This record gives sequence, C-alpha cells and structure tokens, in this order.
Amino acid sequence: MKGALCLASALLALLAPACGGGAKEPPAPPAPSSAPAKPAGGFRFVDVAREAGITRVVLSGRPGKDHLLDSAGTGVAWLDYDRDGRLDAYIVNGWKLDGERVVEKGRNALYRNRGDGTFEDVTDRAKVAGEGHWGSGVAVADYDGDGRPDILVTNFGPNVLYRNRGNGTFENVAGKAGIEVPGWNTGAAFFDADGDGDLDLYIAGYVDCTLEEVLRAKPVLDWKGVDRVAVGPFGLPGAPDHFFLSDGKGRFREATEEAGLTDKGLAYGFAVRAADFDGDGDMDLYVANDSDPNYLYRNEGNGKFREVGLWSGAALSAGGAAQAGMGVAVGDYNGDTFLDIFVNNFAEDYSTLYRGDGKGFFEDVSEPAGVAQPTFKVLSWGAVFADLDSDGDEDLAIASGHIYPQVDAHPEFGITYAQRNLLLENTGDGRFADATDRSGPGFALVQPSHGLAAGDYDSDGDLDLLISNLDGPPNLLRNDSERGSWLTVALEVPPGGGTVIGTRVVAKVGDRTLVRDLSSSESFLSVNDPRLHFGLGNARSVDRLEVLWADGTRTVLTNVEADRFVTVKKGP
Amino acid sequence: MNRTVRILTGVVALMAAVAVLAPVRADQHDSTATPEQLVAAYGSLADTILSAKKTELNLVHSILATAYGHAQSTMASARDKMKAGKDARSEVEKLATLVSHLGNEGDAAVAGVRKRLVEAGHHHHASTEQRGQFEEGFVIVTRAAKKVFMDAAGQIGKMAAAPNAAALEAEWQKVQKQYQGLMATGK
Repeated sequence: MKGALCLASALLALLAPACGGGAKEPPAPPAPSSAPAKPAGGFRFVDVAREAGITRVVLSGRPGKDHLLDSAGTGVAWLDYDRDGRLDAYIVNGWKLDGERVVEKGRNALYRNRGDGTFEDVTDRAKVAGEGHWGSGVAVADYDGDGRPDILVTNFGPNVLYRNRGNGTFENVAGKAGIEVPGWNTGAAFFDADGDGDLDLYIAGYVDCTLEEVLRAKPVLDWKGVDRVAVGPFGLPGAPDHFFLSDGKGRFREATEEAGLTDKGLAYGFAVRAADFDGDGDMDLYVANDSDPNYLYRNEGNGKFREVGLWSGAALSAGGAAQAGMGVAVGDYNGDTFLDIFVNNFAEDYSTLYRGDGKGFFEDVSEPAGVAQPTFKVLSWGAVFADLDSDGDEDLAIASGHIYPQVDAHPEFGITYAQRNLLLENTGDGRFADATDRSGPGFALVQPSHGLAAGDYDSDGDLDLLISNLDGPPNLLRNDSERGSWLTVALEVPPGGGTVIGTRVVAKVGDRTLVRDLSSSESFLSVNDPRLHFGLGNARSVDRLEVLWADGTRTVLTNVEADRFVTVKKGP
Repeated sequence: MNRTVRILTGVVALMAAVAVLAPVRADQHDSTATPEQLVAAYGSLADTILSAKKTELNLVHSILATAYGHAQSTMASARDKMKAGKDARSEVEKLATLVSHLGNEGDAAVAGVRKRLVEAGHHHHASTEQRGQFEEGFVIVTRAAKKVFMDAAGQIGKMAAAPNAAALEAEWQKVQKQYQGLMATGK
C-alpha cells in the first residue's frame, strides 16, 4: 500500500508540482496611529556583549544548514543562580558539523553578574556546560522547592536538569528525575498543573529523527524553483510532546495521556507557555506548533486538560491557516487585564497577535494592531512583551533570522538570512508602530537571531535584551532609552512554601491596571528576568500592588513608591 | 488500502518486471515503441492509483459525515437541554469541537495521518493547493469552507458558558449550509 501510494504520489508530483499552499499576500501598511508619536531618541539600545564578557559562540551545525537542526538555534536565560540580587545569564549551545562529521560539541555557558556591567564565565565551576548534548532550549524554576532556581536544558538528545546545590554548583539529575526523554526536545514549561503546590513539567517535541539522519541530511527541498534547502518540517515525522507530574520530592512520572495532553497530531512543537488564560484560577497551557495548529490546553480544574485550540481562536490565523509557530510571548498589550498571546512565524507570513478576552478566547488582531506588516518579511523566533521605555504599556521586541542561508544567493526575493531584530512600540491605543529604525545601534545589527530574553542586568530599572545568534556570539542590548518611572517586583516563597511560577501581579496606577505573570520560560525557548517589571510613565507610585500567588492566596501593598526594586514575600 | 488492491498492485508490479526482463523480439513492428506489456502494466497501475485516490475521497467523506452526524446529535441534545432550562455547556463545547473537526477535516489524529501523506509527497489537490484553494493535504474541505467552520466553532464555543438558543441555531445553520454545499461538490 505504502509503495503504491508513494509511486502514485511521485506520479502526481510529476504531473502537478507539489507546493506550499499558495503564496501569501503581504498585509497592507497600517493606518497611522492616533496616538502622538514618541519624540526622536526615545528608544536606544547598544550591544555591549563583548565588553560585558558574554562571548560564547553558539555553534549551529553546518554552514549550508542541511538539516533543520542546523538552523533551529538555541535559547537564553536570565536567572539569579547565586541569589546575590544580580541577574546572571545562561546561553544554550549546539554542535558544529562539517558534512557528516561532528567537529565540535558546543558548551553551554553560565555567566555570573559581577555587578559592574561585566560577567564572569563560571560554567566549569558551576558544572553546567550541558553534558555534551546538542542544546535546544532552557527553562528555569525551583522545581524541588528548596528556594534555589534550577535549570532545565532541553536537548536534541536526553534533557538535562541542573539542580542548584546552593554552593555555586549544580548537578544533573534528569535521569533520577525521570525526564530525560531522548529526542528533539524544544520548549518546556514548569507549572503547577494539578494545584498541589509543586511544579509539573511539559516538554514539547519537534521532529522525530536520529543523529545519523541529521548527519546524512542533504538540502533537497525545492525552494521557489531556484535553489535547494533543508527539508522540513513537512516531510519529517513529528515527535510527541511529554507531560510529567511531580511527586513533590524532585521526581516526575510521565502522565501525558492521563492528563489529556497527548499530542495526537504529532505536531511540530516549539515554544510552550503556561498561564491562566481563562481567568479561572488554574494553569492552562499553550504550545506553538510549526506548520500545525497551535494547541491551547484548558485546565479543567483537576490537572486534566482539554485541547480547545481550534475553537478558542488561538490555533490558527484569522484566515484559518496553520502558521509556522516558533516563539511565544504572553502579556497584556492593550491594558484590559486579559492575557494576550504573540506567536512568531515564518518569513512571508505575519507573526500573530492574539487578543485575549480573559475567558480563554482569542482573536487574531495582527493587522488592525499594526503587527502584521512589519513582521511579514522576517522569519522571527523569539519575542517578549516588555515595557522598554517604561511608559506604561508593553512593547514587543522580536528576534529574527532565516533558516536558509541559500536565500542570500537570490536577492530578487528581498529576503536575507541574517536579519534585523524588530522593536515594535506600543502606541498606547491598542496598536504598535515599527520603531526599529529609531532604536539605536543595537537594533541595526543584522544577525540570524533566535533566542531572546528580557532582563534588567544592570539593575537600572529598565529591561535589557539578551539574544542568541546562529554561529556567533550573543548580543546583550543594553537599554539606554529615555524612559518613565518604573517598579520591579521580585517574588519569594519560603522553601517548601509552594512556587512563584504562575504568580500574577496586578498594579493599579491611576486609572490604569497593569498585569504581569511569572513563567518558567517564554519567547523562543528562553527565560525572562524572574522579577516583574512595570513601566509607570509619569506616575510616582503604584496605588495598589496585588500579588495573586499560585496557591490562590493574595498579598496587597499600597502606595508603593516608584523607581525601585520591591521584594514581596509570601506569608506562611 | 484493502487486500484486493494490494494484490492487484502486486500483479501489476510482476507484469512490469516480466515486461522489463523479457527480451525484445526482432520481429516487433516498431522497435522504438514502448513494449506493450509495459504500457499495459502502467495502465493497470494507473487504475490502481486512481482507485486509491477515489478511496481516499470516500474515506474523507466518511470522516466528515461521522463528525457531522455527531454534531447533529450533539446539537439536538443541546437544544433539548436549553429548552428544559438545563445546563448545556458540555454539549455546546462538544459541538464547537466537532465543528472545528469539520473545518480541519478530522481531529488531530487525522491531521497526523494527513501529515504522513504529505511527507511522502501526496497531495490530493496539488494544483489547487498551489492556487491557495486547499490547505496542504486536504481532500474535500476548501480553505474558504474551513474558515466558515472555524468561525462558527469559535462563536459556538464562546456561547458555551451561557448558550443562547437563537444564536446557536444561527451558527448551526451556517455549519449545515457549508457542510451540505461541500458534500454536493467535494470530489
């Protein structure tokens, strides 16, 4: 049967060329925003990675990117691993190949923040180099409740779970914990699925392939009739996602089917984001799938989930098409207190902004919000909602880069392999304006960028950006923008006192309500600053700061002065 | 593919092998013509391939008909519950899911099979896919029809918490009309 169908399909392919479903029309330029334009010089980002000492080159397969693994890229993370109040950085690394030969197995890097704008490479001392695996993504959470952040690295190969020993070193406990699942693992999310106070874990799978298949791959997929590029993801079998329930003692057991989280379509899973999308007090799960409908798993209230993506509005574009979902950002772009979702998509297709209604339903508003047009040409991977100028609304920073270096040989298509990252400024009226050209030299860089994480590494009250690039060192875009007042909230629970993951913080500032929630990962397989940043514009204080902890309890502060860091500790 | 088709395919393959291995006879009328045996074998294989394509069409019809049938009975249950003043949330959500399956030509498991076919290069509507009329690998549900089903599924899902009988009927009418239209033309 299979042979006859293959022959049949080959014959049909000869008669009528296989295709990618029809070219998409670029969206029309957005109508001008009604909000007043920001004065020139508002945004300014400068790449200081080299001076700061963040220099680890991210190895990425072969120059020609013969297999998708060569061009998938890796994630980056902000965390305070030594709990000294300063943000440290973790870079995931891949391998370098030459034809079918493994030239070098890249080492992940942990950079300790010295507090003077520079970092120290403590990878070897901390023992977090990645165990020689081809790294994919990263998630950070205190999975064992001992008060110290741990690092999960997803790999092409067995995953690694670095348990923080508290003395500046880590140990890999993935095997003991039961979460290695060798395969092409991508996005991961720690979250309390069943409301029992400990962190469970979802890990997405992308493509089911062996290292041998990767090494032997050749670019044989026809691209626009002018070149040959890496095959996939269509053409490659999908890998299943996995869900693990924690026993509360540092071990997990696979519970994918019993939780209703079976990846029935074997979708090509990338970024994963847990959040309470329907406002009912429990954690739901969103999975960006490449070329497949995205999944939205609604928590039914007891750790059992139901996949409602197709009719929730968050699985497909407004036109009903599955897109090439890669990175995910979650925030409240329009200030209505309901979580919205942004998904990065392929080149010559827009990245999608789904506006949430707080009840678990979403609408693709990419065009009216002005996001569709600037994201159409680029191939974007990482994204963060971040108030980069602290004016009270969340902007969008987007990391971009193509997967086919072959595009550079065909300038007639107007697409390049290395691309500029984007800064879309929230104009405060539900729309975004492309501010990339007026955001300083950091946004003039042209690189194949993938991982992206926002964090205030220099503790000056604004969010900086850490970006990973294929076959090159990361960028650390220091934020030197003009900005308004701010407040940054750090959350703490006592050891054994539950988790901060899933905590929601609501700030009332005059007639505005600002919402942030804490997740273990976001963007493209990356991790943002665990402290939640609020831009306050001209306000000098937050009238009311409400912390809704993951276990449903609340802590309220009033009249919180602006322009400082505040640590809120959960009571017993 | 069923056993009969498998057997037929094997016979055709055997005929083709025999034709290739058989020596060319010196007294053949036209020595440049493709051997008759090969043409015959190819003709038989073409019948098999086209038959498989027809089988695929019929199977997808069945998938849609099954989803539609379930949707009809679910709609009936929802109507009854709403009429009786009972909570119909579960039925309405189930209806939303089934309508989304119409739009997606089946559930995620079917999507996995479709992906496997596309992996092997099989597109039921290769040329019309290129014109954007069908999603990759789809057989009956056009992109336009998919949008109608998905929009309706979304509207139905939103009503689940507090279903409105008239609004639900209106969305169901759209689903019915689209489904019947597809069944009349899908080939």
